[in-house]
Amino acid sequence: MVKIYIDDREYDVPAGMNLVDAAKWHADNDIPVFCYHPKMEPVGMCRMCLVQQGAIEKDRATGEVVLDEHGQPKVRWMPKLQTACTQRVTDGMVIRTNTAEVDQARQNVIEFLLTSHPLDCPICDKGGECPLQNLTMEHGPGMSRMQFQDKQHLDKHVPLGDLIYLDEERCIQCARCVRFQDELVGDDVLAFHERGRRLQIITNSNPGFDTYFSGNTTDICPVGALTTADFRFGARPWELTEVPSIDPFDAAGSNISLSIRLDRDFGGKAMIKRVMPRQNESVNEIWISDKARFGHHFTRSENRAQSPMIRNANGQLMQTTWEEALKSVASILKAAGKDVAAIAGSQMSNEDLWALREVMSAVGSTRLGAWPITHAGADLVAQVGVGVGSNLGDLGKGDAVLIIASDLEEEVPIWRLRLKLAKERGVFLAVANARHTRMEDFATACLRYDYGMAAHFLSNLRAENPDLAQQLAQANNLIILTGAEGLSLDGSRALMQAAANFLIETGHVGKPNNGLLSTFPGPNGMGQYYMGFTPENTQDIMINPPKVLIVAQADLYHDDPSASQWVHEVETVINLTLFADETLSHEAHTILPIQSFAERDGTFTNGERRVQRFYTAQGPIADALPAWQVLSRLGEKLGRGKAKLSAATVMADIAKNVPAFAGVTYKEISNVKRQFPDVGGRDLYYGGTAYQNRGGLGVQLKTTAESGEAINTAPVELVNAPRSQAGQMLIVPTTVLYNRERTFLPSALMHPRVMMPYAEINSADAAKLGIKSGDVVEIVADTMRVRVKAHVNGGAPEGSIVLPRHLTTEAVPMTMTLGRVSKVD
Amino acid sequence: MKHILFREHEVENIRELDVYVNNAGYAGLKKALGMTPDEVINTVKASGLRGRGGAGFPTGVKWSFIPKNEPVKYVAVNADESEPGTFKDRQIMENNPHQLIEGALICAYAIQAKAVYIYLRGEFWDLATQLDQCIEEARKAGYLGQNILGSTYSCEVYTHLGAGAYICGEESALLNSLEGKLGQPRVRPPFPAQKGGGLYGEPTVVNNVETLANVPFILYEGPEAFRAFGTEKSPGTKVFCVSGNVVKPGNYELPLGITFRELIYDHAGGIPDGRGIKGILPSGASGPIVPATDEVLDTPLTYEDMDKIGTVLGSASVIVLDDSIDIAWAASKMAKFFKHESCGKCTPCREGTYWIDKVLDRIITGDGAPSDVDLILNVAKNMQGVTLCALGDFAANPIIATIKHFPDEFKRYVDPALKQEKKAVAAPKRAGGAAQGRAGRGTEKTGLVPAGD
Ligand SMILES: Cc1cc2nc3c(=O)[nH]c(=O)nc-3n(C[C@H](O)[C@H](O)[C@H](O)COP(=O)(O)O)c2cc1C
Ligand code: SF4
Ligand code: SF4
Ligand code: FES
Repeated sequence: MVKIYIDDREYDVPAGMNLVDAAKWHADNDIPVFCYHPKMEPVGMCRMCLVQQGAIEKDRATGEVVLDEHGQPKVRWMPKLQTACTQRVTDGMVIRTNTAEVDQARQNVIEFLLTSHPLDCPICDKGGECPLQNLTMEHGPGMSRMQFQDKQHLDKHVPLGDLIYLDEERCIQCARCVRFQDELVGDDVLAFHERGRRLQIITNSNPGFDTYFSGNTTDICPVGALTTADFRFGARPWELTEVPSIDPFDAAGSNISLSIRLDRDFGGKAMIKRVMPRQNESVNEIWISDKARFGHHFTRSENRAQSPMIRNANGQLMQTTWEEALKSVASILKAAGKDVAAIAGSQMSNEDLWALREVMSAVGSTRLGAWPITHAGADLVAQVGVGVGSNLGDLGKGDAVLIIASDLEEEVPIWRLRLKLAKERGVFLAVANARHTRMEDFATACLRYDYGMAAHFLSNLRAENPDLAQQLAQANNLIILTGAEGLSLDGSRALMQAAANFLIETGHVGKPNNGLLSTFPGPNGMGQYYMGFTPENTQDIMINPPKVLIVAQADLYHDDPSASQWVHEVETVINLTLFADETLSHEAHTILPIQSFAERDGTFTNGERRVQRFYTAQGPIADALPAWQVLSRLGEKLGRGKAKLSAATVMADIAKNVPAFAGVTYKEISNVKRQFPDVGGRDLYYGGTAYQNRGGLGVQLKTTAESGEAINTAPVELVNAPRSQAGQMLIVPTTVLYNRERTFLPSALMHPRVMMPYAEINSADAAKLGIKSGDVVEIVADTMRVRVKAHVNGGAPEGSIVLPRHLTTEAVPMTMTLGRVSKVD
Repeated sequence: MKHILFREHEVENIRELDVYVNNAGYAGLKKALGMTPDEVINTVKASGLRGRGGAGFPTGVKWSFIPKNEPVKYVAVNADESEPGTFKDRQIMENNPHQLIEGALICAYAIQAKAVYIYLRGEFWDLATQLDQCIEEARKAGYLGQNILGSTYSCEVYTHLGAGAYICGEESALLNSLEGKLGQPRVRPPFPAQKGGGLYGEPTVVNNVETLANVPFILYEGPEAFRAFGTEKSPGTKVFCVSGNVVKPGNYELPLGITFRELIYDHAGGIPDGRGIKGILPSGASGPIVPATDEVLDTPLTYEDMDKIGTVLGSASVIVLDDSIDIAWAASKMAKFFKHESCGKCTPCREGTYWIDKVLDRIITGDGAPSDVDLILNVAKNMQGVTLCALGDFAANPIIATIKHFPDEFKRYVDPALKQEKKAVAAPKRAGGAAQGRAGRGTEKTGLVPAGD
């Protein structure tokens, strides 16, 4: 700690802290800034933060403070004003922010900025939440000496790619956007062009602004120069109400804020106008991926299921009431005896899953399947996952992370962003996969193994990669982050066990920033596990289909090419779904329309086992209800006691019955505390328009390792990769962020960014098969047959076809399999 | 006088390696290699050599800032020579290239640098080719590369061409440009000499061509020989680039401390047609103009004396404006230059240069109001001392100094009583005439010619 003086008051602040940050955090003094941002290196460009700076004079010989004639410490003032943003605090630093000279300097900078600013606030999206507007009101000269006709006129609608528009007139050249992309994301796709007043932002990638994080630049842009194609001209900020929510797409569980307004485009109901980041420094800081930001349109898809439907004797689906539908389902379940199973998707909330489990208990079935069945080993995450208080932002020198069998940028983009930054802080970041992934661009070490051999690789790490093993073993903190690429479900389990063993053996469990993470698909992979739903159960259900199957938020036919075979064997399918157009609807006996995350409240448990709350934001779709409510009412009909009236009471039940959730309440999940940096307050100029967290920072569940129980390693059951016979190749399904899933496709603005269906083929294989890049190929594997474009550009190891899931309309296998490839003439 | 830099006056073909070597060439380097790096730095310190690129910072002191314990260090030679009216480095590199290379190598040895980068403005592409040849020859002769002159010290020398921007002469923008980045200045600290502030983040000395070309002499002849020229605080010779309304414009290497009068009348042949001098720009467009009073004309050209008359020696590119020159027009020319060259990184300079140019245009086309002169003066003052690099101050100088010393020259354009008459005689002509009317994007109002021309 050092002593500094701000406006004649004394403060103790940590040595080396940025002066703007220190003044704000410790002295509640908002030094105005435009270019400075607490998450980025200072650049001293805008000159808005000028302050008077001096230092307490000390005698060189004695180190004693020199006193003036009044007995006050003597201050040696610098001759010129200094930019606060480029200063780090040192002992005896003296700052004045309230002198006439400083006031004048601030006024001058505002005046300079406004000479080139169009002053079209009435038609500017930023109006109402604009740092320039606010600082002009606070520090501006109040009138203009610039003659209007002297202003330069520039292009006001420059598309920087498909998602972001630039208004060149409004840009104040602060470079926040450029620096965000370059310094933080590492996708160096924006730049300045030209110089002087002609300086303009351009994108230098093709497609333009090619990154998964572009929307964040619109939050930190201090003016209305950058707007999203999604929101621009959609509403005024003061008409919007903010509702805290959770990114429904991946295991990070990014905290988001849904900006809603009663809207004529949505029948006068509350409608999501935009999705914004909500600060949670342990989860997503103040950033979200473009998928989280622009992927909300599925909640208002025209294909949303409207009303309960029951198939009549003629096989036609007929609309009915909830009461009738639930009565019918209850009698079907009763009639089936115990021969009932359930499959639940990972967008189901903890409460939904619990209510479904209650229904299953009522009929005496324990066949609870999790969907999709790509990743195994959630039980191991519950045991040796990262400890309570973990924060990827805390990792630094001496720590290590191993990412294995994952294409992290595509699977959990926010983790990719935060681990890229961790690497830059000195973390040893190893990336192991059978092919090149984007994460390798940010890695300290890149390792290769053959597809299917991830678990072998990790089990034999000490013998075969002793240096790496030692680096990881000796790290102060170690996280192993797994995916399931190139593995069968058994292979995935083996990998998880091998990872858990390594962590246990090297003592990296049961404490913060140590342990196991996995890229479970969807926002609630861990919730599925805690509520008793596993992919192994699903496998069993697929092999031995039950008489009655309840499917909840799982797009079986789009995810699994074999669905048509095994679902046929089910006598009665009850489908709780968002969408009426799922193929499963053709088979289902009953369709129960449920609500998306946006229309009701609930909780998700993210990959770090953080239980986080989302709140009711958008107006309901027709008769759709929250799944927990539907299931709880069904449970009542099956004799499980009175239906629950709120998600909070379901959580109370969970807390009573699921040991890991003991003591968890909505109240606790909703607790907030002051976070550094202080973003989203009245001074939007400091951190941007990411919202303050008012919805809760969540509760991280303890791992077994933390509850004091002994944790033992277990044997790894290695499974060999399928052996290809002549003419066969390994078909490796992979994840791409932008795809044609039903929960993403309705975001039409993203369509130009969704790849045409393709598969990566190794050049040696391509030569053998007479395939060139761009050729259409047919890939056939037991129940799958898809046609895609071949990409021959080094993306696939020899002998394997890398085939992204959810780009084709037909399903691609969930896990690795064997198949044949041929060119289509 | 014997030349330290322009030795081609005494030795024909000194640009050639053998001639250079036969005339004590690379002897300074040889001598330096026999000394410790600290001894070399102290020798340069003792000579009192000050930077010739503009700021006049003591060169030896600059070298001593380089941390000793950093493994990688660089020398960057500033051959951007972009100040209007400056053309001295070019002559040194054209006629006495090995002396620059030798000086740079001595500097490199003194700070134990791994490599020297000579950053030349893009227009010097022909010079760069010639320098590359010299570097090759010197390498073959063992003066650079591995184990220089049989010592344990090794150093490479490279040339690099800029792409045409005044700002790339500013040392931190130069380093960015050298790294392949946008030529914009960096925040300081860290300074180039510090870890994190130099080329690729490594401690770096940035010196002007002329500065380094003095170094072989200092090493070989000793600091006292150097101090035989110039004054106590401004020792040595300096190349004065004289241009504007003089009979014999050109480069004159003379001891520091001669007066403007001597420079203009004794060396540059005086003013054509015997006209009087109105003002002098001692350092291109960036130093404040001074009126040609007797006091000014008799001021010695040294760093310290220029300060006394409210201007700077800078790069000593002396532009002489005779009494036919319209000072408001000259101010407008300079304003346009800085508007065009502002890198745009920081607000006051980016916006201020644009705004001043707009208002000055209005003034000299006769559409200005008396308050417009106060406006540009105030805008210029608001730019001063608050910008990221010195270009902002440079850009304010021509406005502040011209209005201070020649207020009537502006009044003529804006005072309603004088305006009619002025407009009739002096409305500036426009070359091309394309820039009339409202300025659209990228429309430059250039091509103004002096009043009465
Ligand atoms: C806008 C601007 C332009 C400059 N242009 C040049 C230049 O063209 N050549 C040069 O040697 N120094 C130039 N300088 C000065 C350099 O920043 C730096 O001070 C100099 O290269 C240091 O070398 P010296 O100590 O040998 O003078 C410029 C400075 C500024 C602010
Ligand atoms: S677009 Fe916005 S963030 Fe980017 S430089 Fe301009 S004002 Fe700054
Ligand atoms: S003062 Fe001018 S040239 Fe220097 S950084 Fe600022 S805008 Fe660029
Ligand atoms: S210069 Fe400090 S905030 Fe921009």
